[in-house]
Amino acid sequence: MNSDPAGASAGPHTSTWKQADRLLLTTGRHGGWWIWSLALAALLVASAEILLPTALGRTLDAVPGGGHITWALLACATLIAIMVAGKVISDIATGQSNARCTAWLRMTLVRHLVAIGPAAIRRFETGDLVTRVTRNASEAGQVGITAVMVGIGLLPPVGSVIALTLIDPWVGLTALAGLLAMAGLLRVFVRDNTETIRGYLHSQGLIAARLLDALSGTRTIAAAGSIERERRRILQPLPGLREHGMGMWRNQVRMTSQAAVIGPLLQLSVVGVAGFGVVAGRLSVGELYAASRYAVMAGGIGSAVGLLNKLSRARAGGRRAAEVLTEPVARYGDARLPDCSGKGGRLEFRGVRVSAAGDTVIDGLDLVVPAGATVAVVGRSGGGKSLLAALAGRLADPERGQVLLDGVPLPDLSQAELRGAVGFAFERPALVGHTIEDVINFGPGNPTAGKVRQAAASARADTFIERLPQGYRTELAAAPLSGGEMQRLGLARAFAHSYRVLILDDATSSLDTVTERQVGAVLAGGYRNQTRLIIAHRAATAARTDLVAWLDRGNLRGLRPHSELWRDPDYRALFGAEAVPAQPLGVPA
Amino acid sequence: MPPPLNCATNTVPRVLLAALRRYPGALVRLAVWSVLEVLPLLLSGYGVAHALDDGFLAGRPGTGAAWLGVLAVAVLVGALATRHVYRILAEIVEPFRDDLVNNVVGGALQRSTVLGGRPDSGAVARLTHQVEVVRDNFAGLLLLTTGFVVSTVSAVIGMATLTGVVGLLVLPPLLVGLTVFLVSLRSMMTRQRDYVLTDEAVAESASTVAHSLRDVVACGAEDRACAQVQRQVDAHADAERTLARMTAVRTLSVAVGGWLPVVGLLVAAPWLLATGSTLGIIAGALVYLTQGLLPALKALVDGLGVGGMKLVVTLDRLVEAGERPVPQETAQRRVPQGHDLRLDGVTFSYGRHAEPVVDQVNLLIPQGQHLAMVGPSGAGKSTLAGLLAATHVPDRGVVRLGGVPVGDLSSHTLASHRVLIPQEAYVFAGTVGENLRYLHPAATGTELDTVVDALGLRSVVARLGGYDAVVDPGTLSAGERQLIAVARAHLTPAPVLILDEATCHLDPVAEERVERVLAARGGTLIVVAHRISSALRAQRIVLMDGANMLAGTHGELLANSPLYRDLVGLWDMGQGSMVRDTVVRETTGRSSL
Repeated sequence: MNSDPAGASAGPHTSTWKQADRLLLTTGRHGGWWIWSLALAALLVASAEILLPTALGRTLDAVPGGGHITWALLACATLIAIMVAGKVISDIATGQSNARCTAWLRMTLVRHLVAIGPAAIRRFETGDLVTRVTRNASEAGQVGITAVMVGIGLLPPVGSVIALTLIDPWVGLTALAGLLAMAGLLRVFVRDNTETIRGYLHSQGLIAARLLDALSGTRTIAAAGSIERERRRILQPLPGLREHGMGMWRNQVRMTSQAAVIGPLLQLSVVGVAGFGVVAGRLSVGELYAASRYAVMAGGIGSAVGLLNKLSRARAGGRRAAEVLTEPVARYGDARLPDCSGKGGRLEFRGVRVSAAGDTVIDGLDLVVPAGATVAVVGRSGGGKSLLAALAGRLADPERGQVLLDGVPLPDLSQAELRGAVGFAFERPALVGHTIEDVINFGPGNPTAGKVRQAAASARADTFIERLPQGYRTELAAAPLSGGEMQRLGLARAFAHSYRVLILDDATSSLDTVTERQVGAVLAGGYRNQTRLIIAHRAATAARTDLVAWLDRGNLRGLRPHSELWRDPDYRALFGAEAVPAQPLGVPA
Repeated sequence: MPPPLNCATNTVPRVLLAALRRYPGALVRLAVWSVLEVLPLLLSGYGVAHALDDGFLAGRPGTGAAWLGVLAVAVLVGALATRHVYRILAEIVEPFRDDLVNNVVGGALQRSTVLGGRPDSGAVARLTHQVEVVRDNFAGLLLLTTGFVVSTVSAVIGMATLTGVVGLLVLPPLLVGLTVFLVSLRSMMTRQRDYVLTDEAVAESASTVAHSLRDVVACGAEDRACAQVQRQVDAHADAERTLARMTAVRTLSVAVGGWLPVVGLLVAAPWLLATGSTLGIIAGALVYLTQGLLPALKALVDGLGVGGMKLVVTLDRLVEAGERPVPQETAQRRVPQGHDLRLDGVTFSYGRHAEPVVDQVNLLIPQGQHLAMVGPSGAGKSTLAGLLAATHVPDRGVVRLGGVPVGDLSSHTLASHRVLIPQEAYVFAGTVGENLRYLHPAATGTELDTVVDALGLRSVVARLGGYDAVVDPGTLSAGERQLIAVARAHLTPAPVLILDEATCHLDPVAEERVERVLAARGGTLIVVAHRISSALRAQRIVLMDGANMLAGTHGELLANSPLYRDLVGLWDMGQGSMVRDTVVRETTGRSSL
């Protein structure tokens, strides 16, 4: 069922506008009743806005007579109060809804990311992923409010055309003609701008990715004194950014200046037509004033430009979020493992084939790692050792063949069962957690403080941790760690949990010979309740294991104890210099 | 707790003013076009009043239409002005954005490359989000402040031409509204700052998860990782809600400053009529208020309250995290005489209270020597390498290259005399050739070929598609990256090479080849040994063991150092005792041979 490794068939950019819009709809729903409060408040504001010019006009008309001025004034004041109160409510609702929608989308993205797993990094740059979770999600999170506001924002213009028609049909017709011209402009704008914004975001992502690259090589850059050169390299896409930025401005200029003509001209025509009405005695001065206000309001459709702009940003953001969310996630079954009665798990590879970057790295591998055994995996670098380690814990799935733990194919296992059974220690562990203690107990279950300390001792991490300002409670961010120290924390993390199978992917490479030997002794000795698969580069490491799995050209060349394989010169050659005898020992007294 | 906003009062305005001062011409044009832009507004009430009083109300529609025609011309001029205003804005804002990007990148590089600096994880958020916030709001701020000033002035002038008294009606509420708003600004700034800080925390936690996906999945700790991000996301959502409440205050100040004058005008209307104003004048005044003053005030309050605050707080963060001016390099451009490296009484510790990692070290490394540094991890090998490479500055003592204290050498001279290859090999997304020529851009194709072949990189280069193919660093193994870094160093003419565990990800065969090739290259070769085998290939070995340091040949160290014997002996055991105690083995495993 899992023969197709997660996402092998889907590219990163297969999501469409349709998928983005569907995602945005779901996102918007998370505004909950705040969206409805906003809609209601905005509706009240819009109605008051529509009524206000009429009320103002009536007041003007009442002035010369002095008759109903009090009532008319009162009506104006009430409408203004409603507008202010409604605006206050919609301000708060906007914040609430945006906060909720954004938070939901961000967490949905993060949960999906961890569900995709390491494959996500093969599809997207990490900096780019962060942008999607932060900026793009927050833009997309505004979709609910923006959509409502675009909808309700249309009411005053529409209402004002109706009001104009009620005042005088000719005036109404004049306004309608102007509005139609405006609507045509808006449509063109949304289409143009969405593409420009996408281009802009792309250039920005390029710069971010280059910067992240450079930040990974800071020692080299510092020693070479090449900061300036790095800056130039990172900023290479800057002219592209500027170009797209100017494109956005060009769209803005066109739109705004057209709006600046059409709106006021519309108003003037309305005032003109109404003026003739006044001359003909059909209209009062108050009605003319109201008509001129309504004309402005009708032109307010132009101010929806800002909102539509926001909506197109929300769509662009939604699409970038959807691109992540359409990536397939790793699937788990619901099977459980048989009891291994405390002697470790039996790991079996059956006809496994995997390729990386188009090359078949492992082809038809059969290998059994006996329960409770410590098995080294050796082979030339690039020979698929790390891939084998990844397969053993489903950090990758084989294209063909099966990996079984105690007789159960790994994909059948539930996530909790699999992660509780197979643990990893890496060459370059990524440490997650607030404090050092959190870093070590990071994993399934919650190891006790005692177990954490024991694990740290086994990984020879205890002494340097105790030297830190607050020991195990030191914040990770406040503890500068060397590569060897990080590796030892990664080992401690693996030791703190009781796994059936522990996979060490070159996890002691940064340790000095003495420490490596001490950790090696811990791994080799102690209780035999765990199966260990150790990716090894050193003969000494291989020598301390029960069996050595020798990978050669994508397949198993031998599975025997180190001492037996050692007779083979090809095997010895793997360790190169380590196989060359040193100067005779025992020279000194 | 976030540091006080002291910079905001100081630096931010300075940065903004500097950005504006760079384009004085543009500013003048902006002012001129802004004035023209409000021409329709300036004439609006006046025109309407006359169109009514002299035209439509007087039964002369032709005159009324003519006044409206004048207004239409003003509108066209205004629209033309709008076009220019936006173009000028783009001219000011886009270069400013470029400067900001440049500054963010420079600051991130600078802070990450100083001694003890860590990769700056917030840089991406600053680059993608904060710079954009500043860009948008800087433009907005320019637009709305010029807009407010010009509109308010023209509305007041317009009203004054209609009737002088009305101005008095307008000013008190306008001032009250503005005062309410300005008083609340400080609190808004704090909230806005919380908003920005929590946003950064979100980015940081998301970045941690993105970088540790493999480990999160391998540990089955998806929920825990998500919970960490969730905390930050929730905090940011709270900040956003609080911020929204501040908007209410602004709405109220607009109500007072903008709408009260309208009500006031209407209340006073009968009295105005009685004292000689016409209906047209009152209508015109109403136009100035509702079309001129009110929108301008609303724009100012919203703009300053949201955009302006965002601009100040965000720009403050950017400036804080931006580039610091670099002190000029020492005037004395000294050149090393020969390439002996010499340490005299060198002491170094990380932090004031930390124990010295290197203590009172004296060492002479003659030109051309092949030296290995060995010792347990944490013994200070990398620190010593850093001191030799002058990337670390000793607390006490002097490091000399060719007789000159390394502090007196310019970074350019240093770079051309010594190359440090750190453990974490740096390969960037450029072509293979660019990566190889990184330290020596003048290297020829033949030189590249020679080095690539010598180091066994040919197949990697071929797989990547040749020297002109662009590398995706993510597709290279750690070992391949190290080989590229070594090749890059080999290509330089620098007489001193320092390898700080630079081959730790290579298999022993490849490692030996690298060391052999580099030793044959000539010049000084200093290897911080990852495997003890590296020591055996060196002419001289420095053994570091905590505070003690011992130098000698392999034989001398064997004779004099128990620790060294231990290190070599342990390595030797790799060949000796290989058979472990018994374990029940399943036979299926072996049958696959």
